[in-house]
Formats: sequence, C-alpha cells, structure tokens
Amino acid sequence: MAALTRWFSLALLGAALSGLAPAWAQITETEVRLTLDPAMVKGSPNAPVIIVEFSDYQ
Amino acid sequence: MLDRVLSEYRGKVRLVYKDFPLPGHTLARPAHEAARCAGAAGKYWEYHDRLFQAQPNFERADLLRYASDLGIPAEPFAQCLDGGRFRGLVEADIQQGRLLDVTGTPMFFINGQRIEGAAPFETFKAVIDEALRNVR
Repeated sequence: MAALTRWFSLALLGAALSGLAPAWAQITETEVRLTLDPAMVKGSPNAPVIIVEFSDYQ
Repeated sequence: MLDRVLSEYRGKVRLVYKDFPLPGHTLARPAHEAARCAGAAGKYWEYHDRLFQAQPNFERADLLRYASDLGIPAEPFAQCLDGGRFRGLVEADIQQGRLLDVTGTPMFFINGQRIEGAAPFETFKAVIDEALRNVR
C-alpha cells in the first residue's frame, strides 16, 4: 500500500502548469519530473485542484 | 466522465493528460503519437476524443483518416507521424508513469491522491472536495 502514501507537490506542479514548463512532482520516496504539453491540458490555469491522468487509447 | 468533473468544478479543476500506452497494446503507441501530431495542428482534444470513439482501429491509414476528417493538413500530419516527431515525449510520459507506479490505465492523481481505474463520478467528487478543503 506504499503507493497510497505518495503525493504530488501541488505548489510545484501548479507553478509549473502556470508556466507550462517541466515540473517536479514530489513523492515520498523520490521526485518525478513531469513534462507537460500545453495542448494536453484542460481547465482553468488558476485551478487549485490538478488531475493528472495517465491513459491508454487502445 | 471527466467532462462532467470539469463542468461541475469549472474554474476549480485542471486536467493534465499523460500518455501511457500499455506494452501489450501495439497500436496504442502510434495512436498517442498521432494525437500529439494533431495537437501540433491545434486539434489535440478533438483527435483524442476521436481515438476513444474509434477503438481499436489504430492502423496508420485509420490515424491519417481521423486527421483528415478533422481538417488537419494531411502532409505535415503524415510527416509528423511517420517521422516519430513525438515518440520521445510519449516515451517520457511512460517513464514518468512508471516512476509513479502506474501499471494500468486509466490512473489518476488528484493533487497527489491516487485513483486507479474508471472510478465513478462520486469517487472523484469525494477526492476533489477534500482537496478543495485542504487548499482553502
């Protein structure tokens, strides 16, 4: 259940989204750098809640 | 379902889509690359929706036809797809997902809270409401 204890750093991710630059998402064991394509983002740039979806078309 | 989330939480929620074609889905990776090519033409979400409607028809000719149907110029789109312009970025998303222990799809992180699979709206609502309480 370790995965349930992991978390993103909202502040870091939010800052990155606002600038559409690469971000660091902090999790408990390590840090994961998230690359963001502005074309693949929906919703308000100032939204306090960010949903990151990993998905597969097939 | 996510459209409902974005609609009911307008201004409060932002969605970031990440590519995670699963290893056994051999046609998925070019489909993800094609969607990014459509994005370069300003039609990412239209193409994204078209791919979900067209599952699992993702042969090259299908991908080109979907682009044409959306009015995306054929030649640059084909060059983008055939040249693997976005191959590295799709691979980067996959690697990032693996680092976050993503093993299946869809997988969501709502301000860091993990939701696995196609959960109902009520599950998203509960997590989003909690996240909104935490940021106030």
